[in-house]
Amino acid sequence: MQEILINQADKGMVLARDVTNQDGRVLCGKGTELTDTLIERLKKIEITHVAVQGHPVTVEGERTLEEELQAIEKRFSRVSDTPPLMFLKKRLTEQMIIARRK
Amino acid sequence: MDDDKRSHFRKALREIKNLPTLPGVIIKLSKMADDPETTAEQMGKVISMDHILAAKLLKLVNSAFYGFPQKISSLSSAIILLGVNVIKSLIISASIFDIMEKQDVELWEHSLGCAVICSVLAKRLGVQDPDEVSTAGLIHDIGKVAIQMELPRENELINQLVLERQISRRDAELEVLGLEHAEVGGWLAKSWNLPKKLVEPVASHHDPRMASDEQLASAIVHFSDIMIRGLGYGHGDDVWVPSLSKRAWRLLDLSPEDMDQILPEIEEKLWEVKGFSLDIQTNQ
Repeated sequence: MQEILINQADKGMVLARDVTNQDGRVLCGKGTELTDTLIERLKKIEITHVAVQGHPVTVEGERTLEEELQAIEKRFSRVSDTPPLMFLKKRLTEQMIIARRK
Repeated sequence: MDDDKRSHFRKALREIKNLPTLPGVIIKLSKMADDPETTAEQMGKVISMDHILAAKLLKLVNSAFYGFPQKISSLSSAIILLGVNVIKSLIISASIFDIMEKQDVELWEHSLGCAVICSVLAKRLGVQDPDEVSTAGLIHDIGKVAIQMELPRENELINQLVLERQISRRDAELEVLGLEHAEVGGWLAKSWNLPKKLVEPVASHHDPRMASDEQLASAIVHFSDIMIRGLGYGHGDDVWVPSLSKRAWRLLDLSPEDMDQILPEIEEKLWEVKGFSLDIQTNQ
């Protein structure tokens, strides 16, 4: 899953989260495939960002999966003797790998 | 570290001058809250005299860490729903973070994220006032802001130490000032007459053993700070996940299954807060 600005959205991308309005009402459900018309409509009602499946947009300066995993390693490097935190690390690592899978 | 120096910094931080007006509003509200005759409407009116403050407050109230199903549009309903203590802390946060949003977005996001996790944990553990716990999470690092504002030279030195020696910010603070930001935050919260429920978790977020009356709330803020760092919302060059208090962990009593249920919930809410934080930044 990737969080992108609506300006980076393109047709064919698939929503990974519901798009909701300020009151929390669902405007457009998870799993919806974006079309040009839909993107225009979302812009019109001032939706600024959406979450889409995979990792379709390459952001300049963004960390690669490898770098993200290294960052997790470093963050947890001083608590390797604490089982609950190692469990957390394991889950975050797994999540990161799944999130980046295209 | 000689005691003279330590007490000098202590004094400087206690007499904090540069923090944005912990405005007359706070004092007024505290007085009003003590008077049983005061209505929420009257308090709402006092706050709304400051338009910007009122707008910010409503924004915070409507953010993901309180998670009311409907939008709260009036200050008086916010006061009724959240209680005076939470509103007071939110006013403090709104004024303090006003600077942070501009100068230190990272710390602002760390604080919001910590509040989100506190809210998820507090609700799951059935804490009586989950909103107060998330508010404690929101303000847990106010001591850092105080040090940044009041002792900019020393703060620079602290940053340097963190980078050069690869030590935690807390250790660098202890070395430079002889005190650390949790302690400072605790004094501040106390000097603003916030209740123990907020003061203790702020003061003991590195070492929840220091908490006496509010052990569970302190354990929640302690672990939320750790988790949000684990998720990558740290602060500056101090990126390491700090050590977890065994006692706090026993108190929280979270199983791996609990963790697996909590994580997606947190991720979901962090996403909402991210939108919220972007929103604040673009609306300036």
